[in-house]
Amino acid sequence: MKKLSILLLVVLAAAVAIFYVPLQAAVRPPKLDYQRLVLPNGMVVILHQDKSTPIVHVELWYHVGAKNEKPGRTGFAHFFEHLMFKGSRNVEPEQHTSIIASVGGQANAYTNEDTTVFWQTIPAQYLPLVMWMEADRMASLRIDEKAFIAEREVVKEERRMRIENPPFGLLNELITFHAFDVHPYKHPVIGSMTDLNAATIDDVRDFYKTYYVPENATMMVVGDFDVDTVTNLVNQYFGRVPKAAKPVPRDIPQEPVHTKERRVNLEQPWPLPAIVVAYQVPYNGHPDSYPMFVMSKTLSDGQTSRIYRKLVYETGLALSAFGSSSFLEQPGIFSAVALVNPGKSPDDVEKALIAEFDKLKTQGITERELQRAKNQFSRDYIVSRLSIKDKASQLGHGEVIQKDMASVDGEFDTFLKVSQDDVKRAAQKYFVPEGRLVMRIMPRGGVEQ
Amino acid sequence: MKIKAVVTLGLFGVLTAIVAAKPALTERVKHEVQDRLRAARTERTPGDGAQARVDWPRDSPPRPLPARPVTFPPYEIRKLSNGMQVVLVSQNEQPAISVRMIIRAGAAHDPKGKHGLALLTATLLDQGAGKRSAEDIAETIDFIGGVLGTGAGTDMSYINAVVMKDSYEIALDLISDVAQRPTFAPEEIERQRAQALSALKVAAGDPESVAGRVIDRLIYGFHPYGMPGAGTAESLTALTRADFVDFHKQHFVPNNALLAVVGDISAAEAMAGLEKHFGAWQPGAVPSLAITEAPEATRRVIVIDKKDSVQTEIRVGHIAIPRKHPDYEAIDQAVKILGGEGANRLQQVLRSQKQLTYGASADLNTYKRAGAVIAETDTQTPNTAEALRVVVDEFTRLQRERVHDGELEGAQDYMVGHFPLTIEVPDAIATQVLNQLFYELPVEDLPRYRERLLKVTPDEIQRVARWFIRPAQLSVVLVGDADKFVNSLKGVGFGNYERIPIERLDLMSADFLKR
Repeated sequence: MKKLSILLLVVLAAAVAIFYVPLQAAVRPPKLDYQRLVLPNGMVVILHQDKSTPIVHVELWYHVGAKNEKPGRTGFAHFFEHLMFKGSRNVEPEQHTSIIASVGGQANAYTNEDTTVFWQTIPAQYLPLVMWMEADRMASLRIDEKAFIAEREVVKEERRMRIENPPFGLLNELITFHAFDVHPYKHPVIGSMTDLNAATIDDVRDFYKTYYVPENATMMVVGDFDVDTVTNLVNQYFGRVPKAAKPVPRDIPQEPVHTKERRVNLEQPWPLPAIVVAYQVPYNGHPDSYPMFVMSKTLSDGQTSRIYRKLVYETGLALSAFGSSSFLEQPGIFSAVALVNPGKSPDDVEKALIAEFDKLKTQGITERELQRAKNQFSRDYIVSRLSIKDKASQLGHGEVIQKDMASVDGEFDTFLKVSQDDVKRAAQKYFVPEGRLVMRIMPRGGVEQ
Repeated sequence: MKIKAVVTLGLFGVLTAIVAAKPALTERVKHEVQDRLRAARTERTPGDGAQARVDWPRDSPPRPLPARPVTFPPYEIRKLSNGMQVVLVSQNEQPAISVRMIIRAGAAHDPKGKHGLALLTATLLDQGAGKRSAEDIAETIDFIGGVLGTGAGTDMSYINAVVMKDSYEIALDLISDVAQRPTFAPEEIERQRAQALSALKVAAGDPESVAGRVIDRLIYGFHPYGMPGAGTAESLTALTRADFVDFHKQHFVPNNALLAVVGDISAAEAMAGLEKHFGAWQPGAVPSLAITEAPEATRRVIVIDKKDSVQTEIRVGHIAIPRKHPDYEAIDQAVKILGGEGANRLQQVLRSQKQLTYGASADLNTYKRAGAVIAETDTQTPNTAEALRVVVDEFTRLQRERVHDGELEGAQDYMVGHFPLTIEVPDAIATQVLNQLFYELPVEDLPRYRERLLKVTPDEIQRVARWFIRPAQLSVVLVGDADKFVNSLKGVGFGNYERIPIERLDLMSADFLKR
């Protein structure tokens, strides 16, 4: 069907109790059982069986992302991800995806700030093929200057398509650029054109040797398989990949706590003004990150959320208003964004956004809001583990980002224990004016009324 | 925590998902993988630049394990006492239930001059219904950690909800109000109208969205499928409360609806709830849609000029077939070879060989009454003409040259092998069943997908491609910085074009120009 959407950015709806729902009878998801293997070369393998459909999902996480890039090489981690499809000793360039497709499977990869993930979902009987191919490119990638230069053009088109051409495409990039000074989260994962052009084939070799090594890799195998068979395959194909020559570097410049509010005014060729209010927040898994997450539900999940109600529903100040938290491996930001409706004042929008943060500090959230946030959290939690791909993603997150597999199931209770006081305390600690970024991005050439 | 946010479940999006079915992978497929890899290896020359960290062996790919049979999972189709059709898929892996309602009326049913009516009606459904205000509805669904979404596509409107298993009653209570008794309160109409107008403004500056709307209008002309489903500033402004009330009254009746209950609930419990909340909903006479034939394919090139674009959005296509058509299977596979998953000549040439784009594809969009084949890609401005030429050449090649046996087998292997991936989660199973019911196709075909698919031969593809692909009558839309590419269009055979400044684009005007 042709897709029609009335809101550019999906925002959902508002406040009277109709039904009584028993408070702590939250529906619990089943436990995600897993087995964890560590190979002598340091590679970690997480197994979770799910025999409901004869398919299997294999996901290989390399613990390297945009934050590991050298200065002047933004975008390199993602660029390198593309190069992993350019063939290895036993697999021809571009064949990885087509071989997977020829058995009905799907394969792709993504890069974010912290990780690079290669995944494939396949009919279960092709598990050996996938493991063989993943090991092949971990151990014997072809590095070819011609392919490297050609693929750079594809990545540049990707940047143009995702970031430079659509209205508001640059928004995230502008926010992080001004929210960070020294931490590499400052830079977009896709990188800048200048840095992409500056990358060399030596950078490729160096990056491969440094980060694409077994001790930096975690593989999730989720779906219909036999444990003994998988164990044998893992040993056979990945067991023979040697360790790296040197330890994987982990020295990332850390962002200091900001001491002065920053205000930035910009212009972009966008149809409506955008107002951004952002604060520094702790890393994912930090004890404060749980109340912060609960609070983010109250602020911006659903049509009852405070930001939606105030800015969109009640006042019509904004076409769309939402909050998003980048709870990453290292401390990041929480930002609220509003697109100012024609005829409305950007000043009013900015004041309204900041007022919502301030209200959390002075009044916290109500008991009912807390319960609602927890119910919304439970739902997200449950619908985030429906498919084998979802499950692999949860397991990878526990191992690589949280570095604590117990968190995969344990976090459910951690969330349910969050109290109103926890939320208020976290708001007071993080939503401080001196840690705040206020950005106003006006349409170039003025606002059309 | 790593949690994906629940967004409105756009049923119109998932309904077009690939529907595939087959029992088990054959030996043919298995051996083909082996053969393909062997062939690849023998072609390879030594000194290939592999950066082995160790003396990495030259290796044959491993053989597959024994395959388990794949069968279409159980589902039930039932009827309520008032005739409403119900699809049930019971599965208790996660303690969640989704309820999905489809109404067989969408933007195509917008009366003349009232474009945007179906969509805005759908948007207003949950903004007050029964005894509940918009705020009551939002509070109810949010508090239980549920999601409620409403919307409209071309041929359908929908209401979806996801709730935890202990909240089924609440979900039904809400949906029955929203579907049967929407309030259409004047203040909510004004609020949503203002939002829709504002969203139109944003969409008007978005090259991707503009390209999509212009190609539909070019291909379908003034047929309802060519009209802007999100409306125009004029049409949205003119809509009255009576329009919403009428649209709802005419189309939202149980004999015009399909309902699915999916997830952690038994069939008996599911049906008991539905009977209680929807059993008394009275059937009504559904007006039949008087639709003119979609126009014949005609060559026409529209350049939408958007200054400072770094890329050009390219759309190329023409009219095709409705979903229910005897040649659907063969045409679908022909289009997959052109630009679909598991094959995709466009991607091979435009991305892999020429690095002109990040992505290229072609889709067969088939609706109830008509359909279109549309290829799409984007490329940096100076490469516009070259990329356009490549896309058009691939239409020509598909029409003139017989598809190679191996290429078709590759595409079919993908579709056949892919089937178990499409029945993994219960919502996906329900989608396939709903799809068959909606397009009035036999549900018995679901488990027979493999046979239907493999029946298509290269000769069949050639037969359909000859009559259906019309390279000389393609509609073309280019949205980008016109000054920087129009001069090169003549060199690739497209010197004849109409140029429209994006600010002056009017979809309702025959020449696309605002007066």
